Amino acid sequence: MEDAESSVLPPVPVPVGSVGEDDHDQDQESRQSAQLDAEAETEAERPQQKLLRLPLSRIKGLIKADPEVTLASQEAVFAIGKATELFVEVIAKDAYTFALQAKRKTIQRKDLDHAVDAADEFAFLEGTLE
Amino acid sequence: MAERPEDLNLPNAVITRIIKEALPDGVNVSKEARSAISRAASVFVLYATSCANNFAMKSKRKTLSAADVLAAMEEMEFDRFITPLKDALEAYKREQRGKKEASELKKKDKKPENEEHKSKEHEEDAEEVKMVEDEEQKEVENEEEDVEN
Repeated sequence: MEDAESSVLPPVPVPVGSVGEDDHDQDQESRQSAQLDAEAETEAERPQQKLLRLPLSRIKGLIKADPEVTLASQEAVFAIGKATELFVEVIAKDAYTFALQAKRKTIQRKDLDHAVDAADEFAFLEGTLE
Repeated sequence: MAERPEDLNLPNAVITRIIKEALPDGVNVSKEARSAISRAASVFVLYATSCANNFAMKSKRKTLSAADVLAAMEEMEFDRFITPLKDALEAYKREQRGKKEASELKKKDKKPENEEHKSKEHEEDAEEVKMVEDEEQKEVENEEEDVEN
């Protein structure tokens, strides 16, 4: 006679892959969700935390315009893009000091010309902004 | 790929944003000043590229490297850019590594996931079939009723 209580329990579903991988899966999930959170943050309201605002594709296009350049690494393109952003910040700030001197709150073209004349490192711009 | 003149310009919206963020609130920039800064930025890219390329060529390399760009900054008297640039490069490399790892993980996941997915799909299909059969049964019954009526 069969003892009802010795019935076999229904098999517990085992996830595909060994049991030892469970932790790994959890790490993956938390890593992926952390990454998604980070991406969401960057896209939301932290423009200065974004690594680069200028599009790499346009920077690359300018680099390719140089007939002497064969190839540029992705890091080089990024570096030039980042340097360009720093350049824009610096020249805008310099121009601003001249607008301030003239007691204006609006930076005008002449402030920029002034800034270019006033700094040696901006000499490469002379004659190019016309 | 032919470079059209427009493509040598940097996007106005981005340039404007960078300018605004560098200045205190309430400061405005005229359209002419903005446009001139944008042009200056393009010239900067060309000049930095040429300078960096000189370093690459000196080392007999055909590929511009980040190190060439850093050397160019010093040459161009933009030493103040070197530290923030190095920091940004570190962050960029980390980001690229992270992206690479993420895509590799996705590729690894696809294999076992497919097998699981297939068995689940099979179950769902089986259920669907059952539902359809039930409906068909009902239709047949209804028809029979109609006929009877």
